[in-house]
Amino acid sequence: MTDQNWSILIPEIFLFIWALFIFGLDLGIKRKNPKILGYSAMAGLTITGILLAIFNGGILFKGMFQSDQLAIFFKVIFIGSAFMAVGSSFDIASEKIRHHRGEYYGLILFSTVGMMFLSSASELITLYIGMELTTIPLYVLAAFYKDDKLSVEAGLKYLIVGAFSSAILLYGLSLLYGLTGTTDIVTMKINLSLVFLSYGKIGPGLILAMIMVIAGIGFKLALVPFHMWAPDVYQGAPTPITAFLSVGSKAAGVVAFARIFVNGLIAFASDVMKPLDWGIIVAILAAAAMILGNITALRQRNIKRMLAYSSIAQIGYVMVGMVAASELGIASVGYYMFIYLFANMGAFTIATIFNDKTGSDGIISYSGLSKTSPIFAAYMSIFLLSLAGIPPLGGFAAKYLVFAAGIQAGYTWLVIVALLTSVVSLYYYANIIKTMYFSAEEPTIKIHPSFPANLVLLISVIGIILFGIFPGPILDWALESAKIFAF
Amino acid sequence: MNEYAAVLIFLFVGIGVVLFTFFLARLVRPSNPYKAKNQNYECAEPPIGSGWIQFNNRFYIFALIFVVFDVEAIFLFPWAVAFGQLGLYALIEMIIFIVILLFGLFYAWKKGVLKWV
Amino acid sequence: MELAIFYISAIVAAGGALMMILQRNPVASVLYLILSLVALAVLFVQLSALFVGSLLIIVYAGAILVLFLFVIMLLNLRGEKFTSEKPILDKGTKITLVVLFFMELVILIKQMAFPQRMDSLMTQASPDFGGVEPVATLLYTKYLYPFELTSILLLVAIVGAVIMAKRDKNEEEGER
Repeated sequence: MTDQNWSILIPEIFLFIWALFIFGLDLGIKRKNPKILGYSAMAGLTITGILLAIFNGGILFKGMFQSDQLAIFFKVIFIGSAFMAVGSSFDIASEKIRHHRGEYYGLILFSTVGMMFLSSASELITLYIGMELTTIPLYVLAAFYKDDKLSVEAGLKYLIVGAFSSAILLYGLSLLYGLTGTTDIVTMKINLSLVFLSYGKIGPGLILAMIMVIAGIGFKLALVPFHMWAPDVYQGAPTPITAFLSVGSKAAGVVAFARIFVNGLIAFASDVMKPLDWGIIVAILAAAAMILGNITALRQRNIKRMLAYSSIAQIGYVMVGMVAASELGIASVGYYMFIYLFANMGAFTIATIFNDKTGSDGIISYSGLSKTSPIFAAYMSIFLLSLAGIPPLGGFAAKYLVFAAGIQAGYTWLVIVALLTSVVSLYYYANIIKTMYFSAEEPTIKIHPSFPANLVLLISVIGIILFGIFPGPILDWALESAKIFAF
Repeated sequence: MNEYAAVLIFLFVGIGVVLFTFFLARLVRPSNPYKAKNQNYECAEPPIGSGWIQFNNRFYIFALIFVVFDVEAIFLFPWAVAFGQLGLYALIEMIIFIVILLFGLFYAWKKGVLKWV
Repeated sequence: MELAIFYISAIVAAGGALMMILQRNPVASVLYLILSLVALAVLFVQLSALFVGSLLIIVYAGAILVLFLFVIMLLNLRGEKFTSEKPILDKGTKITLVVLFFMELVILIKQMAFPQRMDSLMTQASPDFGGVEPVATLLYTKYLYPFELTSILLLVAIVGAVIMAKRDKNEEEGER
């Protein structure tokens, strides 16, 4: 245990201690300045990001903790989403959650720590614990408005569905362990191929294990048909938490999925392996997600519910890249999540600010926003158009890459479904823009975000436009990170 | 058969003792049940209402925290058993583990949930 | 003898689980669940997984079910509340479904029952594999990292429980 490079754990340990520090700060100070906790959370996340840039690359605990490029790429996404969630929380922190400010920020950081551990996990037990560490703070955060029935309902629903899906996931993971005799994903891959090469087939136990793992992670990703909880939870939870849920915890699920399936079970991603081919199962689920998410989103009147269905659909697009199970596929998934971070966090931030001002989440109440707050209406339009995938914004490049990966891997039908549904999605995204710009109603509402929320919006807009026009650096990095899987 | 046979014997002896006591009591006691005697006993008064009451929700917090520390105890148990082979390294591990959890206790304490007002 | 213990505890475990869902009184349900868990613990010990067995008794029967009882008393649940609701499925359909699921399970287990041939690949477990000491040596050396992560998980659980279960009234007074 002496020849290990312990320093690669520093970012995680720092963020954990920082979260404890925020709890302590909340207990210690007598709430003189409500903003200090939020700023210190943002500072902590920034420092963690810097530490991540310094201390990375290497393995620890006999490979249980891997600080590889994929992990770092996604850790940046996690830290970014936590940063933006904290930044957009300042307004609710001064009002709705003033009794539990410290816990609120602390739990966001804890969840981020969990995601970071999860993305570094190359072993089933660690992966599972990381996943739990990600979701348990989120159960509490979803129910954070304790006086609001919708929020408590959201927390309870999320808790029950989450616990249930964790149990299914754990069952699937233990079946994988039982079949291969190891919890290490790479050893698992080797053992499975050995059995397959020697005997030509593997019992139905593997199908059962794969279905259970897909279901377990599918619940976390809100992948159809495991999405039922998402709209209610997204609507009821505090809006910054909804944003964090839809970006951070989804990215965590994506990493877990990539680690188990695209790395561990890569041998079973082709037609040859029927019926052990997980690719086709996931492709069908992705198609269902895109169709159902986009069509249901058309009928929504509440912006949070609409964004919930839109994020159900978005995960379908991500899965197109995932089933490609190639270097380009994983890179496109990474790039997609990176752009999705900016677009979705930005859209939810606007929704948060708007809700603080008006107390309403109805799409109709956005009418005339372009006249009173032209900048924010423009921001919102950029976020929504990026989610729809309009060039030259980031969402276009992301969708293009995902589709390219899908076609390269032979899933042409899936890409056709994806193309058609993104045309549908344009309708409801554009509908909000229409409401903001061309509504006959007299505008009354003017929004003034706090400084951190403004910062979040600015970062998002710059990110979308910059990485949309110059996808190069991020794409290169994503391709680099996809190399670790050795296809 | 193996070392668990002792557990089984304990189980049977335990059940046996209870059954035997009941049997013995039946042998020596007189038997004349009547209505007042079969009533539930509540400080020599006829009972009012149901025996079911709504618990204070503090019990619930205590129980929740207890579950967490029970899980901690489950980790301590094998540690204590194998401590001889594991040595100093394991001691440090366990200290880290407990210190992290102690923060939770400290938090609960500071928040005043351990106080019974 | 081994077989007799297995059948007795298996029947008690399954019967306890069955009685648990058939009870109208929630407290009785919890007690049956405890019975079922204790019988399960015996099964685990028979498989020489002593640690898992004791874990089942200490954590589940000892702590979690006490929590169940507290929650039942907190919510003041009575059995009769559940009787009035109209069932969605009629009895015949239910029984058919149960039988079908049971058959499916039997077929699945018969089908897969981890193939013998895979044994050769796995390192054979030593006879005292599930004992306390082997578990400890694995847990505190090879699986040290997930073990330490567990402590963070438990810490989050305490914090979450305190936030959710505590009433805010005291704080409002403190702020004034």
